[in-house]
Amino acid sequence: MRVCRTAAWFVAGLAWAQPAPPVTELDRAIAIFKTESGNLGLRGESGSVVTSAGNDRKQKPRWHGRLFENFRNNSLDAVPHEVVQRGGEQGLLRRNQFGFNLTGPVVIPKLYDGARTTFFTFTFEGVREKIGRSYLRTVPTLGERQGDWSASVDASGNTLPIYDPATTAPNAAFDPNRPVSEENLEYLRSPFPNNRIPAARLDPTAQRVQANYPAPNSDAGPFFRNNLFVFAPEINSANGTIVRLDHTLNDKNRLAFNLTNSNGTDGAAPLIPTEANPGSVIVDRQSRRASLEHVLTASSRNVNTFSVTASTSRFSYRNEGGAGAEPFPFYRISPYLALGRANPSTRSARNTFTINDGFSTRRGKHRLSMNGYMNREQVNIFAPHYPSGLYQFSAGLTSLPGIVNTGHAFASFLLGGADYAERSIVQSPSYFRKPRYQMSVSDQWEILKGLTLSVSVTLDGSGPRTEKYDRQSTVSPEAVNPANGRPGALVVAGRDGQGRAFQPFLWKADPSASLAWNVLGDTKTVARLSYGRSYSTIPVYTSQWGTQAFNGTVSWISTNMQLNPAVTLADGLTSTTRTFPDLRPESANNTIADLVEITGRQPTYQSAGLSIERSMAGQTVLTMGAGHSYGRNLLLSNSGSNPNAIPLGALQFRDELNNESFRRELRPYPQYQRFDVYSAWPEGRYRRDATYVRFEKRSSSGLSLSAYYEFSKQMDNYSGPYGVQDYYNRQNEWSLTSSNNPHRISFNYVYELPFGPNRLLFTAGGWRRHIFEGWSLSGVTTMASGEPLALHPQFNNTGGVLDVLNVNVVPGVDPQVANQGPERWFNPEAFAQPDDFTIGNASRTHPTLRMPGTQNHDLSVNKRFSITTERSIELTAVGLNFVNLANWTAPDTMIGPASAPNVNAGRIIGSRGGRVIQLGLRYSF
Amino acid sequence: MRLLLPMLLTYLAVAATPPEKVSLRIPFLSEGETVKLQDLKASINGAPAHLSRVLGTQEPLVLLVVLDLAGDLSLVDPARQALIAEIEKLPAQVSVALLRAQDGLRVLEDPGESREKLVESIRGLSISGRAGLLDTINSATRLADAVLVKSHVRTAVLFVSDSLITNYREDYTNPVVNSSDSNDMSRRFPEGLVKEKLRQLKAEMASTLTPVFLVHVNYQNDRLNEAYQTGLLDLTNSTGGAAKFCRSIAEIPGAVTEAVERIGRLQTVELEPKMSRAKQWDISLEAPGRQLSHRSRYTPAKEK
Repeated sequence: MRVCRTAAWFVAGLAWAQPAPPVTELDRAIAIFKTESGNLGLRGESGSVVTSAGNDRKQKPRWHGRLFENFRNNSLDAVPHEVVQRGGEQGLLRRNQFGFNLTGPVVIPKLYDGARTTFFTFTFEGVREKIGRSYLRTVPTLGERQGDWSASVDASGNTLPIYDPATTAPNAAFDPNRPVSEENLEYLRSPFPNNRIPAARLDPTAQRVQANYPAPNSDAGPFFRNNLFVFAPEINSANGTIVRLDHTLNDKNRLAFNLTNSNGTDGAAPLIPTEANPGSVIVDRQSRRASLEHVLTASSRNVNTFSVTASTSRFSYRNEGGAGAEPFPFYRISPYLALGRANPSTRSARNTFTINDGFSTRRGKHRLSMNGYMNREQVNIFAPHYPSGLYQFSAGLTSLPGIVNTGHAFASFLLGGADYAERSIVQSPSYFRKPRYQMSVSDQWEILKGLTLSVSVTLDGSGPRTEKYDRQSTVSPEAVNPANGRPGALVVAGRDGQGRAFQPFLWKADPSASLAWNVLGDTKTVARLSYGRSYSTIPVYTSQWGTQAFNGTVSWISTNMQLNPAVTLADGLTSTTRTFPDLRPESANNTIADLVEITGRQPTYQSAGLSIERSMAGQTVLTMGAGHSYGRNLLLSNSGSNPNAIPLGALQFRDELNNESFRRELRPYPQYQRFDVYSAWPEGRYRRDATYVRFEKRSSSGLSLSAYYEFSKQMDNYSGPYGVQDYYNRQNEWSLTSSNNPHRISFNYVYELPFGPNRLLFTAGGWRRHIFEGWSLSGVTTMASGEPLALHPQFNNTGGVLDVLNVNVVPGVDPQVANQGPERWFNPEAFAQPDDFTIGNASRTHPTLRMPGTQNHDLSVNKRFSITTERSIELTAVGLNFVNLANWTAPDTMIGPASAPNVNAGRIIGSRGGRVIQLGLRYSF
Repeated sequence: MRLLLPMLLTYLAVAATPPEKVSLRIPFLSEGETVKLQDLKASINGAPAHLSRVLGTQEPLVLLVVLDLAGDLSLVDPARQALIAEIEKLPAQVSVALLRAQDGLRVLEDPGESREKLVESIRGLSISGRAGLLDTINSATRLADAVLVKSHVRTAVLFVSDSLITNYREDYTNPVVNSSDSNDMSRRFPEGLVKEKLRQLKAEMASTLTPVFLVHVNYQNDRLNEAYQTGLLDLTNSTGGAAKFCRSIAEIPGAVTEAVERIGRLQTVELEPKMSRAKQWDISLEAPGRQLSHRSRYTPAKEK
């Protein structure tokens, strides 16, 4: 039979074989290539973007996408440590983040087939969330609210005496040649009998207002401090979309269009569940952004990219009293929780329009780039600070005049005497405008093989802020004030020879250069050297600062806050005869006047860096580097600068400084209480030096990790939680930056776990492989040493000369402690409250004492279930602080006087943090 | 009789149809000299497989060079120059096809064209469009596979890419949609979409045999691109190929040279495994004293 078959094959072969030309295997392969590439649609202008798993044939492109839901619930989370410590329970948490994404070619049946040219992406995401927030604050005790201060104590636990201002009388025995002291009082004043304010003396308005305070519910202490623990829900929502269109016109022209849209409400957990809530306000937000980009590839070496972008970001604060209702006034009663809030009814829109064009070309060993950029920013803002008024209270009125640790701001409040009051009169929004232009030229030049030099120069044109209707004003330091004939008067944009803007149009050149060198011709080692200088523009803030002639402030200032209130609650903020606009040069007198910097100083930054990268076996890269950066003319806020500060030499006048009329004459511009520079006074300086090591590892087994360590030191003359002591000698303020963490370590990893058939573990096949395969881990671990401590004295008895007082260093006493712990983090005996009317000699931030270090470990565990090669379901569990670690809070840094030391100084009262878990489900197709 | 002979011949021809043979061509790479057939041992899912033929380094090779260059000219030009230099050095048995990854995979030059024409095409390639590697790597490999399966030549795919994960038409970056959502934890680990895409590609390409080599000229170490580049490393390794990421311009020529040199050393072995109903084939190739790299897991494509 076998013979027959062979014979038959032979005969058939003879019968049907055709004479064929000699064909090589390569020719056959080429022919197959041509045929198959044609079948796949890869020839000519069309291309295939198909990723098919079956036989390769030309197919219609498919749409891809995903559906997802991320879910959080309080039952998944650990109870935060700060809640446990207050005896609280897990608060309510419900969060759903859901959405979908669809992406693929644009195809409209019978109308348009953009399978190869037009591509879209549409993403929707919604969020619904109810989340608990916790706060620890201090409110008056129930006794204090009734005027009973018999149980109230100071920071050392001694009875805090409250004095009756109605009993104030000059002390005939006062010796003006000796400092005011309990033995040499300038004014005599009697304490309230039994340290109780009689009910009849309590101001009715104060009684009504303070009824908003909730009862104390915590004894975190010390004494009666930290007595209100609030755990309140915050309700947030958001809906957003992203639309992207990418269209290829031809080989040389491509268009990309992006549109993003998001509407949301930022809820706010109320500190007090009444209209007097001083906590965050509920904010409604909208943001939109549209951009169009055109890329022209003129030739293989010339590419031009042109783009136009428009964006808007709006927000408005919700009035908790209801639409149109009068906002609750703001009562500032430090150290107690305030009542009411600033900016209760703000509305803002920030619009940005940008045109950008960039051209790149390659000429020999040079790559040249030129870029032009035009930007116009609009900020439309309505933001009255205190439309219903600000009342500020201090201990002065209920103190023994001139003696610290007597009286209390809340006692002064109960009597209805505010030492400062202010009311904002804002009649219309402001419409600010600001242009910016940039032109840059850069060249990347391969000088030699392995040596590349990059240089660039950017010409930066920064325009000043203008207002659409010229409703801007500032104090001009040169203009003469008609009220007192001294320099400093209000000037108005667009009037009396003043331009539409107060600042000049600035053109600055920003150079930069970098060098990449394969050291000694070894491509595995790259040395990089860089230098750059840049200027930043003064931004347009979301505030009506600088419009005081049109949107004014009426102020009430106490003549002596120890003796007389500026205003009483019973009188309220009486109506003023002031009308706005008030364009008179003296119209800002006796107020905190807005001051716009007009000299054209711009924040300037310089940086230089050196690094060496070495790639090693096993796809690892080790990088070591060092960097230096320096900045000057950095923009400071009111806590960092005060151009109307009284020179420190005035402290010699001691108690006379409590007299406002005396004190004001010591100011450079006595007609102004002080200046509001917002956050735009260019006087800051910083320097940072850092060295670092980075290790990166990538592995084909699905592991990638990177580790980074940095040691840095950053100094400046402005930062910190309290502000600056000496505005006139910035060198005295040169100390560690308050946010400087000298040691920082971060560790990132992604690992596809080696489970499943043909892997290291759990190699079982069959149905079990669906359980074992597809697991991966991602993690981020960060550790940082603590920031420097900023110590501050409990009392600032400098007659208002110093906004901020530093502590004194006690010579010979070590501030460090042997066994550092929460009970004793540092040695408070190493510091002292400065004497009255003297400055502290310690630096703004301590050079060696630091807050506790922090560490955080986040982890994501993923399991992928493959349905088909292109469809899958992925389950994700993300754990922030997954080891449920607590980080200590900051120690108490308040240093009291020797007579009544703060018993809590140097102690840490708790810790914060807790594990947070989110579960996610994603279906990809 | 006139009818009987054709009927008999037809019957014999049908009856003589040999049983269907399954053959598999596995490209592999070894250090050192060419591996001979008698030195090789192969098994599939642990069962020995018959080796019928080995294509050595002197056999024809069809190399598909796919250019995925859409970004920085200072990186693109050295990559082009390096590629041109290597192509000009290739021996005659290597035939190069040139393809482009932007806006879908497209053939620019067929294999067999003159080297001058190829070089001219590379020089004249316009640098535009979006990154295309993820969208085209499967198609390019399947095209090479079609050649591998239907002819006795060696095949390889070489991608030269400057792609960043942020430059794709499809969005793998998981951008923030609602900027007001301050409690968003879903972007703490933003690489999820990148990983998903690469896992999906790896699963799709498990039914291909041609090794893929990648020279990536734009090394990045941000979290997203790190996940992207690690995924590409894993993907190319799973095909039996390799990936190299260049951190500086000076590294580019060496990386291209290394990739082309490795491709030149590729061999292909033809296996005849016993029919297996397993969905996945775990392939083992061994030669005494030699380290072989090849695709170790293969998923036969489903018949349609």
